[in-house]
Amino acid sequence: MNSIKNITFIVTKDCQLACKYCYLVGKNSKERMPWEVAKQAIDYILGHEEDFREESVVWDFIGGEPFLEIELIDKICDYLKTEMFRRNHHWFNSYRFSFSTNGINYDSPKVQEFITKNHEHLSIGITIDGTKRKHDLNRIYKGGAERGSYDDVVRNIPLWLKQFPHGGTKVTISSADIPYIKESVLHLFSLGIREVHINVVFENVWKEDDDKLFGDQLIQLADEIIDGGYYNDYSCSFFSENIGKPLDRVLYNQNWCGAGMMLSVDAAGNFYPCTRFAAYSLRSKKPIIIGNVHDGIDKNKLRPFLTLDRTTQSRQECIDCEVASGCAWCQGENYDAADTATIYQRATAICKMHKARVRANNYYWNKLYRKLELEDMREEFEKSKPKSNDLIC
Amino acid sequence: MLQYLIILLDETSTSFCHYENTRKERNLIPLDVLKKGIRYGMMENLMIQFVFPKYDLPQEYKDEVETIDHSKIKPIADEADVWVADEPAKVDGNVPVVLRVSKEVLFEKENEVVEMLKSVPRLNIVLTDVETFTENDFTRYKSLLERVAAEVERMYVDGKSPQINLLTDRMMLSAMNNCGAGDMSVTLAPNGKFYVCPAFYYENEEDSIGDLEHGLDIRNKQLYKLEYAPICRHCDAYQCKRCVWLNRKTTLEVNTPSHEQCVVAHLERNASKELLRNIRKHGTFLPEKEDIKEIDYLDPFDKRETWQ
Repeated sequence: MNSIKNITFIVTKDCQLACKYCYLVGKNSKERMPWEVAKQAIDYILGHEEDFREESVVWDFIGGEPFLEIELIDKICDYLKTEMFRRNHHWFNSYRFSFSTNGINYDSPKVQEFITKNHEHLSIGITIDGTKRKHDLNRIYKGGAERGSYDDVVRNIPLWLKQFPHGGTKVTISSADIPYIKESVLHLFSLGIREVHINVVFENVWKEDDDKLFGDQLIQLADEIIDGGYYNDYSCSFFSENIGKPLDRVLYNQNWCGAGMMLSVDAAGNFYPCTRFAAYSLRSKKPIIIGNVHDGIDKNKLRPFLTLDRTTQSRQECIDCEVASGCAWCQGENYDAADTATIYQRATAICKMHKARVRANNYYWNKLYRKLELEDMREEFEKSKPKSNDLIC
Repeated sequence: MLQYLIILLDETSTSFCHYENTRKERNLIPLDVLKKGIRYGMMENLMIQFVFPKYDLPQEYKDEVETIDHSKIKPIADEADVWVADEPAKVDGNVPVVLRVSKEVLFEKENEVVEMLKSVPRLNIVLTDVETFTENDFTRYKSLLERVAAEVERMYVDGKSPQINLLTDRMMLSAMNNCGAGDMSVTLAPNGKFYVCPAFYYENEEDSIGDLEHGLDIRNKQLYKLEYAPICRHCDAYQCKRCVWLNRKTTLEVNTPSHEQCVVAHLERNASKELLRNIRKHGTFLPEKEDIKEIDYLDPFDKRETWQ
């Protein structure tokens, strides 16, 4: 399997939006990455090829909203390409530039010029949460006027899908969003988005009976997808055949989250095991800084991340759980919610939501396979079914 | 399971481990706190280890200490169960000694260390700067251990039974035998609060794990146990200190040792392996113990892909 290194530039901590569920608690307009820092980070990373042996690299740009810094990003990407070539680095011609954007300035001339220039190596996801009322419930402009951003995003979807026909979107579900799940996923399908990566937030935001409402929404969505025949061409990551099974504590002991195998760098030139460990992402803990562009990476600080396994961080209830597979966690949220400053305490706020998802997921596959068998289409479906990735962060 | 209660009798109590106690101002533990601490130890069935300062305690403190079975950890001076030295020196007295030294002092005063070993029933060497070891230091340390091991072998041949933690402990052990702070032991500081070990107190007094009034409250206490230490539970450098304070200092997690800690412990383990093999050339020695096996790594972290 091709191993991939994910390296994230936190180019800005600013964003046009103030999404209500955003985990970035410390967004601001001051911390913009200077070019010198970006260059020093690149020089360090490419200059230590022996420490970055993965076959390929994804250069990820995150904010805030990354496209607010399109000029810096363009300069970074030009330098990366030049330097990977000049150094005859093994990542040259095995790289991608990746963006997750709110889509608001997607059609701006500078962003479009950048896309044209780098299209072959680009992955861009636009975040749209579903119907207007669902999207605007959370994804509002900053400034306190509760102004939703749906209209400014949806107008760019056709252009985006023209340039990236296989583009997927990432939908985040918090407590208030639950009633709109079905309509939102179907709406995204109707916009032509074939892959909907959707997940519930890891934070402890859930109210009593949210799991029941969530399960009801997923059952309704399952009915719509199956009865409407969407299952052939569209995928929604809530429904996956691999979830909801017990996990052997030895054979399936790997960590879920990739923190520590990734690398993030911020405007100050500090390195993090993942963006979620930067100060602006943390509510109650100190950032975990694993080095900086001047001194390099302190490998000792990566050791806990690289030796972390499922059972060591899980409570016995989770180890013994009969529907454990697919129950995700975010190492940053684990750390932020832990009783002590450790990454070794798994947060379980999504437990009841995962169990509700598993029940709906069982319903989905039982109903779908019965339908396919009655229509004598099961074999054909197996050959051509869309693959859904459990994209969770 | 908790077995030991360490009581710091004074703010300036001697350090007997990796941490430095830089505090100079005397501040005795209040007598009522000492009494409550002793009572707590009795009720929880804990073995108490008193850590003494350099100065002589008031008589009422001496009397209180004697109300419970205990161990005394003291700077080299008068009667104690463990003496602590900050310099290698010949010692008179049949008392085990903890020698706290930096790597440079150890490298420079190797001969004095060997002489010290000859004069004490047991020598526990604590490297106070293990986290600063470089590749060059590893090489020097390996050579030093080989030379000291040769001396230990000679002593065994002469019919003596020297004990030096860096070399002889691993020969005797069949399982991990580490510091145990937070799991087997906790520390009561002069402020009446509990800490994982003295180092946690001296580093940050806010880092307490309970107090005498409310008892212990060790959050994520499982992380102090071997089973919850992914690197250490795969390791057979059984003599390693596995200092949870140093772990946290270097890797930010109490259950994860630094690369330097692991390599130093494995150099000791490998030197012990050779020492055991060499002593056995002279006759039967520890017949119930298996040979220490050959391994191809110095840091178990490097073998993590093979763990199951």
